[in-house]
Amino acid sequence: MNPVAQVILDGIFTGSTYALIAAGLALILGVVKVVNLSHGAFFSLGAYVAYVLSTKGVTHPAAAALFACVIAFAFGVFLGKSFINPLRSHPFSVAVGSLGFAILFEQAAQILWGPHPVSIGAGPPWAVVSGVVVRRWGAVSLLASVVVLLGLALLLSSRWGLPIKLVAEEEEVAGSVGMDVEKIRYLTFGFASAAAAVAGALLAPAVSIAPTMGRVPLILSLIVVVASGMENVGAIFLLAVGLGLLSNLSAYLVSPQWSYVSLLSVICLLLVLRPMGLSATPLGRDY
Amino acid sequence: MTDLLRAEGIEKSFGTVRVLRGIDLSVGKGEVVGLFGPNGAGKTVLANVLSGLIFPDRGTIFFEGKEITRIPMDARFRAGLTRTFQIPGPYPTLTVVESVRVALLCGDSGRRGKSRSSRELEEEVESVLHRTGLFPQRFWLASKLSQGCLRRLEFARSISCRPKLILLDEVFSALSEKDEAELAALLRSLHGNDGVSFLLISHNPLLLEGMCNRVVAIEDGRVAWEGKSADLAAYLPVAGAHNHGQ
Amino acid sequence: MDGFQRKATGALALGAGLLLLLPLAGVDLFLLDVLTTGFLLACYVGSWDIVGGVAGQISLGHALFFGTSTYACALLTSLAGWPFAAAAASAILLSTVAAAVVGTVSARLKGPFIALLTLALGELVHEVMLGQTFFSPREGYSWGGEGGVPVTLPWKALSPWAAYYLGLLFLFLAALGMTRIARSKEGLIWTAIAGSELTARASGVDIARHKRRAFLAAGALAGAAGVGFAAYVGRATSADFSLELSFQAATFSAIGGRGTIVGPVLTALALHAVLQGAGFPPAARVLLYALALLLTLRFFPEGVAGTLRSRLRARRMVSEGADR
Repeated sequence: MNPVAQVILDGIFTGSTYALIAAGLALILGVVKVVNLSHGAFFSLGAYVAYVLSTKGVTHPAAAALFACVIAFAFGVFLGKSFINPLRSHPFSVAVGSLGFAILFEQAAQILWGPHPVSIGAGPPWAVVSGVVVRRWGAVSLLASVVVLLGLALLLSSRWGLPIKLVAEEEEVAGSVGMDVEKIRYLTFGFASAAAAVAGALLAPAVSIAPTMGRVPLILSLIVVVASGMENVGAIFLLAVGLGLLSNLSAYLVSPQWSYVSLLSVICLLLVLRPMGLSATPLGRDY
Repeated sequence: MTDLLRAEGIEKSFGTVRVLRGIDLSVGKGEVVGLFGPNGAGKTVLANVLSGLIFPDRGTIFFEGKEITRIPMDARFRAGLTRTFQIPGPYPTLTVVESVRVALLCGDSGRRGKSRSSRELEEEVESVLHRTGLFPQRFWLASKLSQGCLRRLEFARSISCRPKLILLDEVFSALSEKDEAELAALLRSLHGNDGVSFLLISHNPLLLEGMCNRVVAIEDGRVAWEGKSADLAAYLPVAGAHNHGQ
Repeated sequence: MDGFQRKATGALALGAGLLLLLPLAGVDLFLLDVLTTGFLLACYVGSWDIVGGVAGQISLGHALFFGTSTYACALLTSLAGWPFAAAAASAILLSTVAAAVVGTVSARLKGPFIALLTLALGELVHEVMLGQTFFSPREGYSWGGEGGVPVTLPWKALSPWAAYYLGLLFLFLAALGMTRIARSKEGLIWTAIAGSELTARASGVDIARHKRRAFLAAGALAGAAGVGFAAYVGRATSADFSLELSFQAATFSAIGGRGTIVGPVLTALALHAVLQGAGFPPAARVLLYALALLLTLRFFPEGVAGTLRSRLRARRMVSEGADR
């Protein structure tokens, strides 16, 4: 048994799922051009979906991921269409509103499933490599994340990704060639939210599921997006994995609380020390 | 003539797009200088650099002999270098009188360093409002003003700092004849009575000919021509010379 | 004062009058307690409105200033043995310093990033305080976390009626002070910054400096509310730093009408009194607040008092300001 190596491997698996969340957030920032604070709640939603399914005897990650994806997509499209799209140009409403949605979910989860953490079994080991256990959730998470992010990168560089890129970079052009810009926006919001929920469903066996579990992934993916921008899918993946790894390691070596605190410190430092770097995002421009 | 404003070698790029490629420009005391150019030539970017909204990649700017290249816009306002915006952005919740009051609170007092009583402040506000013809609408919400009145509000804001130089960015475009005439009269009065210098940005050569002493024409981010406004007609490029479309 | 401002002050006076007479109509001790905490909450929310409403800064970590104050009161009186008055003064000073820090680092950021930064700062301190314990040698055990730190008060017990009326007086004076600040020259500059930073800059407003001042005022007032809370409840807990509390400041202000001071203050008091008075558990209450927030932002973005203010101003445009 090699506990440190185990933590590292699990950190990589965890980080790769965080990359899914971060990629979704990056898409929202780039296409809908808002900072979405409800993103962590969709992650929690996915985890709770997996939990509810497991209480009914369904434990296969694909099932959990599928249910989470569909539910979150529906919610995401609803939220995007009814709230985010109309209020895009009001930063206060978006920030506080998306936070409101996150808190709404946290309170609802607390009422429905109680404030204490619950968990799904981590599942039997799939393989054991020199004292390190590889479980199903880890392998599936890594695979899913790589597939989705590769797919995203391919999509964006192909013809099919053109509508998304146009809405992100040249809004007026997109509108003038007849694209339904609003629809692209809320569909993107829906897909990104679904990705976060899938991440939650896949990661559910490995974490303790509690109402406020979405806060850490939110901060983490915000760090990734603020630090690496929206264009570079590869950078997003690497940074998310790196942060997931660090987060796991610090939780193991110090305490789980300190990993949250260190993530929060990182984002504060990022925001304070590089305001010029933030002008690269669509929100930083003055005129 | 001593230069009030002098810009040397101004370069500015956005990503890979080089908008300003080395511009030299000067405005002397009491001069009305026109800045002419087609759309996309970089006039507004230059105005943004000169007024301090953005900083140039290369080059220096001097105002009254002091270097101001990296001084922010609000400090330039207090120093007497101010500008109007092509698309005015009125405060959504303030009235006309309140909008002017903000500028007066921050403009002149910052420079002179002495505080005024509320009475003196109000008198100055009213004087500015009378001068720009906005006194009847002073309790209106600024956002409800007509285009012509918004331009006048821009003027009101600009003169609140007892400016020495005002950058006017397309202040006459898309105005009715009456509004244009009134604004022109206001400009002349400021120039004649208060000795304010102007840098007038416009794509309308007739307007520049009528109002300016000297015109600088820029094209593709460079100064293409400079001379007396009377000679402007001789310079005008063949293609699109009288194209007044936005 | 314009029409809306007169009505606002009138509403405050009317509210104060009603609340003055309420206990004489016979209310039970529970409701009295709910209202007293409501007064302090309302002051806290009003302090948010200074920086978040009048100055328009999206501050999502306001509980940081409140918690700093309550903890300072608790730690200074119970651990360091200071008299309450000195601890209270230091508490307000400390929360103002915290606000100065936040104001300075936020100064150059754009809206959504200020939201992020303040949220992260608030959560950071909350998380630290959640796990932080303080060992009291006198008592022989540790305080901290959700159990909190007790405040050593100079009185043995405060009668509920005395607490109620003191709280009401405190809120009334604080609200008057806040409206005074909002209507001052500095408040006008804050409103300009909230309306259009670009136009404000072009009018000579040093944005960073005035943003900082708004945070300072808000922090000091939140600190005052914290002192009141520490004195009344007698305990500082990590919940005083929580995201839910920061969220409530923004939520009640949005529903009441950002920038009106009176709207947020009265809304916070009313919603808190009704929902806690009706016996809703905390999770249900916060859920309802969040729901109300979302509906308000979507359909009545100016909030209750804000919509009223806009209507009155539009009407005044027509009459061309005869009352000035």
